[in-house]
Amino acid sequence: MMTTEIKFGGFGGQGVILAGMIIGRAASIYDNKFATLTQSFGPEARGSACSAQVIVSDQEILYPYVTKPQILLVMSQEACNKFLPETTDDAAVVIEEELVKPKALKPGMKLFGIPATRFAEELGRKMVLNIVMVGFFTAVTGLVGRNAAREAVKTSVPKGTENLNLQAFDRGYEYGMSLVQGAAAPVAQ
Amino acid sequence: MENYPKTVKTKDGTSVVIRPLTQDDGPALLAFFRALPADDRLFLREDVTKKELVERWISQLDYEKVLPMVAELRSAIIGDATLHFNQHGWHRHMAEIRCVVARAHQKMGLGTFLMHELVSHAGQKGVDRIRAEMMDTQVSAQRAFQRLGFQKAAELKNFVIDINGKSHGLVIMVNDVSDLWKKMEDLLIDYDIRMEQ
Repeated sequence: MMTTEIKFGGFGGQGVILAGMIIGRAASIYDNKFATLTQSFGPEARGSACSAQVIVSDQEILYPYVTKPQILLVMSQEACNKFLPETTDDAAVVIEEELVKPKALKPGMKLFGIPATRFAEELGRKMVLNIVMVGFFTAVTGLVGRNAAREAVKTSVPKGTENLNLQAFDRGYEYGMSLVQGAAAPVAQ
Repeated sequence: MENYPKTVKTKDGTSVVIRPLTQDDGPALLAFFRALPADDRLFLREDVTKKELVERWISQLDYEKVLPMVAELRSAIIGDATLHFNQHGWHRHMAEIRCVVARAHQKMGLGTFLMHELVSHAGQKGVDRIRAEMMDTQVSAQRAFQRLGFQKAAELKNFVIDINGKSHGLVIMVNDVSDLWKKMEDLLIDYDIRMEQ
């Protein structure tokens, strides 16, 4: 049985929960796997930390809460500081590299970074940052298939915004593939 | 314009290439316009059958001012849609979209493909609204625009005349592009903080 625990973190309004939902949807609806999603929020309004916990498994999930994430995706420094200590020693850490500088990475961790905000701005809408991250996540983790993730993006965003969101996904995905194909998997410094 | 050319399949299964107009397309564009029945050219602002006009457009091609998207089948242009930006004045937040498809290839979804590309492009260029104008009798065109998110904003009765001099109403349809991205923003906020509300 293959079960993967993932934590998504960032500040409210970055689309953290949507990113987690898309991965969960990709796994459960389009990739014939099982997935659960739970979420939590900071006590204030937009701008405070929030996170989503996703579990993906090839078998039915009996306990939906993440205890020790094997993959961490973070889009804010606060989220990274808060959630990195919770991960496994060999976790894959996926970061928005211009907003996040991880501290206390363990030797067995794999770090994957992408300038997702810049890519989103180049595409014309900063708010597709989370979708760029979803594309990148898909490429560097291989947890869900590219087509499954793309379809999940398409069905999760408002009608009329699909094109740009898919471009954002593709941008993140292509960058991720260039990283994983270009060299050995990055190791934490 | 990195993602072009694209190939699409129309309703009858024909593979058509969609791409921006280039400076090599002068003769093909002129041939396309000249082959259009007069009725289909009626809403165009200028006499597109004039060689000098098409040559001027081609020589002044500037995607920041007008983005023309063409449909190509076996090297012939069979559809042309344009997105006209306003860079100054009170319309600068708005673009206008126009579309014409060769009669033999109408009702196959080709106009929708072309306009979909331009609507998508408009959203990325900071345009808040896209305007389209058509006669009240152009019901298929109105339906095509509705499928792309356009809504009727106004109808001006007896405002335009057809080739036979008969008056028709002018329908103005608008796609509020900014509204789409407001929906996206709301989605992100709703998911992230709705429990706070």
